[in-house]
Amino acid sequence: MSTTARRLIRYLSPHRSYFWVAFAFLLVATAADVFAVPLAAKYIDEMVSPRNFDPTWILIYGGVFLGLHILSAILHYYQLVRFHTLAQWIVRQIRTDVFARVQHLGLSFYDKKPTGSLVSRITNDTEAVKDLYVEVLASFMQNAIYVIGVFTALFALNWRLALVTTFILPIFWWLMRMYKKYSSVSFRKSREKLSAMNAKLSESLGGMNIIQTFTQEKRLREEFGQLNHEHFKANLRNVQLFGLLLRPASRVVYALGLVVVLYYFGILSFDGAVTIGEMFAFINLFERVFEPFNQMMMRLAPMQQSIVSAERVFELMDDTETAPIKEGEGNPEIITGEIEFRDVTFSYDGETNVLKNISFKARPGQTVALVGHTGSGKSSTIQLLMRFYPLVQGTILIDGEPLETFSDEELRSKMGLVLQDSFMFYGDVKSNIRLHNQGITDEQVREAAEFVQANMFIEKLPKGYDEPIGERGATFSSGQRQLLSFARTMAIDPKILVLDEATASVDTETEEAIQLALNKMRKGRTTIAIAHRLSTIQDADLILVLHRGEIVERGTHQELLAEEGLYHKMYLLQTYGTNLEVVQ
Amino acid sequence: MYLILKGCGILSVFKDLWWFFKQEKRSYLTGFVALLILAILDLVPAWMVGQVVDLVNTKQLTYDHLLQYALMLIGLGIVAYICGYLWRISIFGAAYRLGRLLRDRLYKSFTKMSPQFYHKQRIGDMMAHSTNDIQAVTMTAGEGVMTLTDTVVLGGLVVATMAITIDWQLTLLAVLPLPILAYCTNRYGKLLHKRFHLAQKAFSTMNDKVQESMAGVRVIKAFGQEDDEKKEFGGLLDDVVQKNVAVARVDGLYDPTIIILMGISTLITIAVGTLKVLDDTITVGQLTQFTILLGKLIWPMLAFGWLFNIVEKGRASYDRVNILLTTEPQIQDLPDAVAEIPTGDIEYKVEQFQYPEAERQTLEDVQFSLRKGQTLGIVGKTGSGKTTLFRLLLREFEGSLAKVFINNRPIDHYQMSYLRRAIGYVPQDHILFSANIAQNIAFGNPEATQEQIEAAAKVACIHEDIMQLPQGYETVVGERGVTLSGGQKQRVSIARALLLNPEVLILDDSLSAVDAKTEHSILHELRMNRSDKTTMISAHRLSAVEEADLIIVMEDGRIVERGTHEDLMRLGGWYKEMYESQQLESLIMEGGR
Repeated sequence: MSTTARRLIRYLSPHRSYFWVAFAFLLVATAADVFAVPLAAKYIDEMVSPRNFDPTWILIYGGVFLGLHILSAILHYYQLVRFHTLAQWIVRQIRTDVFARVQHLGLSFYDKKPTGSLVSRITNDTEAVKDLYVEVLASFMQNAIYVIGVFTALFALNWRLALVTTFILPIFWWLMRMYKKYSSVSFRKSREKLSAMNAKLSESLGGMNIIQTFTQEKRLREEFGQLNHEHFKANLRNVQLFGLLLRPASRVVYALGLVVVLYYFGILSFDGAVTIGEMFAFINLFERVFEPFNQMMMRLAPMQQSIVSAERVFELMDDTETAPIKEGEGNPEIITGEIEFRDVTFSYDGETNVLKNISFKARPGQTVALVGHTGSGKSSTIQLLMRFYPLVQGTILIDGEPLETFSDEELRSKMGLVLQDSFMFYGDVKSNIRLHNQGITDEQVREAAEFVQANMFIEKLPKGYDEPIGERGATFSSGQRQLLSFARTMAIDPKILVLDEATASVDTETEEAIQLALNKMRKGRTTIAIAHRLSTIQDADLILVLHRGEIVERGTHQELLAEEGLYHKMYLLQTYGTNLEVVQ
Repeated sequence: MYLILKGCGILSVFKDLWWFFKQEKRSYLTGFVALLILAILDLVPAWMVGQVVDLVNTKQLTYDHLLQYALMLIGLGIVAYICGYLWRISIFGAAYRLGRLLRDRLYKSFTKMSPQFYHKQRIGDMMAHSTNDIQAVTMTAGEGVMTLTDTVVLGGLVVATMAITIDWQLTLLAVLPLPILAYCTNRYGKLLHKRFHLAQKAFSTMNDKVQESMAGVRVIKAFGQEDDEKKEFGGLLDDVVQKNVAVARVDGLYDPTIIILMGISTLITIAVGTLKVLDDTITVGQLTQFTILLGKLIWPMLAFGWLFNIVEKGRASYDRVNILLTTEPQIQDLPDAVAEIPTGDIEYKVEQFQYPEAERQTLEDVQFSLRKGQTLGIVGKTGSGKTTLFRLLLREFEGSLAKVFINNRPIDHYQMSYLRRAIGYVPQDHILFSANIAQNIAFGNPEATQEQIEAAAKVACIHEDIMQLPQGYETVVGERGVTLSGGQKQRVSIARALLLNPEVLILDDSLSAVDAKTEHSILHELRMNRSDKTTMISAHRLSAVEEADLIIVMEDGRIVERGTHEDLMRLGGWYKEMYESQQLESLIMEGGR
């Protein structure tokens, strides 16, 4: 058995007793189902054939017959619901596990995996695993038990004939193998084509104005038509395989089986050694073997797909790129908020260093600004300070203690990060400021909003702080979203502020509000800020100019301008734009 | 009765699909005949078993009989195999062809729709139409036709055989509980649909949460919210479990219902049948045959209930697809539009323009002209109408009081595809397709050579960036490939437009994500490469339009200032103020020195 299968079974073990009860239901229900046939046969032999008409017996037979059906129906229902529930519980556990795992993976992991594929692992792939459990537990096993039940009854009725009829088993086994082999290919192809077609469609719909303005409608139609046709072909292939190897083939097997059974009974009847009831029971039961086989065979291909999905889920669960956690003894606290980088060198991939020997110190309450072009290492510096990535070379000290020694809680509650894109969660204004911290009261939410003057627009909303936020806050302007994310940070009242200034253009009014809020927030807090607009950091205590991962210049605004180096150039570029040549 | 009446209404979808059935006459006829033969063949084993039982009972069975029956059975098996294969290929094949046809048509109609259509429709809905709805119609043309045939033909044949060859009274009694089965199946189907929908919704809520959690991972980590996220996710998972178990509770009803109803039917058959055997109305063999036949009624009954669910969904889906297929694009070519690529001076004569269903007008009294080869700069606040001006030129929207002329001819007098060939458009939101970078740049001309592609990339200052990528121009971008930065995407879309060497190049705030230095070199390259071609630039950063031949300043849909950079600076209005505020820092610096 593969490791994947073993792991899938291991998920079953906490629910062992629940499983066995359902299994017992299934056994009894199947037995009741199957037993009704010999009962009817006995009735034929004892009442109908000898023309023995006894109303009491007829009633008893009828009562037992109906009773068996009702028993079987009820038990069937409960086992079915139970197995489904069980499958749901297990998948719930798998989803919990994989989600928890992913939550604690480091950002280095997220950098490599596109969000879309991660989401698909956690939801769609686990959904496929659910189908697997449902299929195996509620359907495959049920059909298999039914086949076993019927054969048991056949053996009980007439073991010689039953033994002969087992010749259908290898035939089915062969059909199954063939179908599994070919259909897994065509099923996968059909799914692949469908998803390629849908991807094409959604992309086309999203970029229709581009397609139209570039007059590429015809070409795209042909490309789509091609995928559509390939999908059609894969589907047709599925139908062909089904027609060649499943239902129609099982009809042929049935015909062969019936020939054997009739011959057997025919020959026996020459000696008069056969009863009508026995024949009735045998033929009736024998017929019932085929539908379960059909059902099992039909489910083979989707099951294989599910196993592939399960493998992907487990692979994700086994990923070891966990986020850095607290190391070492002691539980240092952040009190003054002094930050020091000592010779920090860092690389994401272990090959190219994105930071080289970064050293600087921010005294309590000071503002240190990082400037530089895209890719100069500004963001990496912040990511390391936030302990999103493990430090390899050099040290980062907060209040003189190494960054690694702080607990997660301490770091997250004392360091406030404001990101470039102000991410909004589904919920309302209040919950977006407070997040999950129930310790933050409504009053504190309000204070935080007032502090950054977000209350100005919040109070104008129809529902104020209870205004719902959907679709990533699309109804709010980017400036408003920024103010909200400021309030979110202020609500935890951090000692250290880490800012990644937004590049997105906002209107002047909001811009002013944002600058005002930022200035207020920075007061009394050690601040590390990435600045895109140099105008916003002129009062910084220290400006670090980064270039290709190195600090090339450092000093205050005035000092750096006087230096007439890179900073000065950047400043000129920002202020004079295309007139650079003129100025120089 | 109710079901039948209602059925006639729903079954009208077959009438609507008649054109297709006619088109696929051969497939459907083949499928129908194969199903019919199969239905008849299905009855033979039961009859044969009945015969053998009677022969055994009366001790008349011989080897010849047995051989005869065996050969017949094997023959039947082979014919059944062929028919079973044939109807599937014919009917399902035709149904899939219908799906393919509708999907192609739908895609074609999507490509013809004007932007107005895309403003009203959501992509998710349109995706649903072309996947779920078409699937439902395909089901109707495949499974729907099959279940209808099976219900009518197989069901009818079985009942007829029972009534005619065995006993009509017994038949009537035995099939009495079966309509209940059809009714229940139908009911369960509806209930299932409803609950399934709820389960889907719970699933998609969970999906949204995961999506949010992955996208917002930095915030979650920064605020140390991992455990709370897990708790919230757990709550959503509970909901998913609950909704899915509710589905299973209905789904599980099918089998027990069949067991009980068939039990009752069999009981009636055997009880009444016994009396009939004792009366000598029927033989024991016939009774056996009858019970086997009874088993054969399960499927037609199930199919009957199923048919309704399929057809009901198919009906609604086909209607929705049809609405989309028959929607006419809002903007079409005029009958006498000329087939030539417009070139020459551009003139805007907009008295007023209002978006359909908008409350107020977006443009008012916007008139200006631009000589061929000139550069126009449009500046102004967000929402002042800058993009709308471009949309009018692209004929994405039109209005009777909003006229645009090229070479003194109104643009709607050019055929749309020719008009668009004259324009290279770089939109605000940079949309790239899932293909490699070279293919993306050559989007408007797939035949472009590598030299042309690289030349365009160089003008757009993206060549160097591309060469840094792992596979250079072969690097796949888009959802499944490398993620480019906003600025890189913008420059690729600029290169895409430049590759066509268009008469008119439109940069709709397309330099916002590139840094000042790159912006400067792109503008420089454009000036060098497009000397006698027209360029229109809208921007937030005034440096992007400074060198334009004409700059217009928009406010609330009107032109409030116009002229060259020098004119506007002299004018001392919004432009000057904005320019100065963007330069404020430099003034401070000079003062500080």
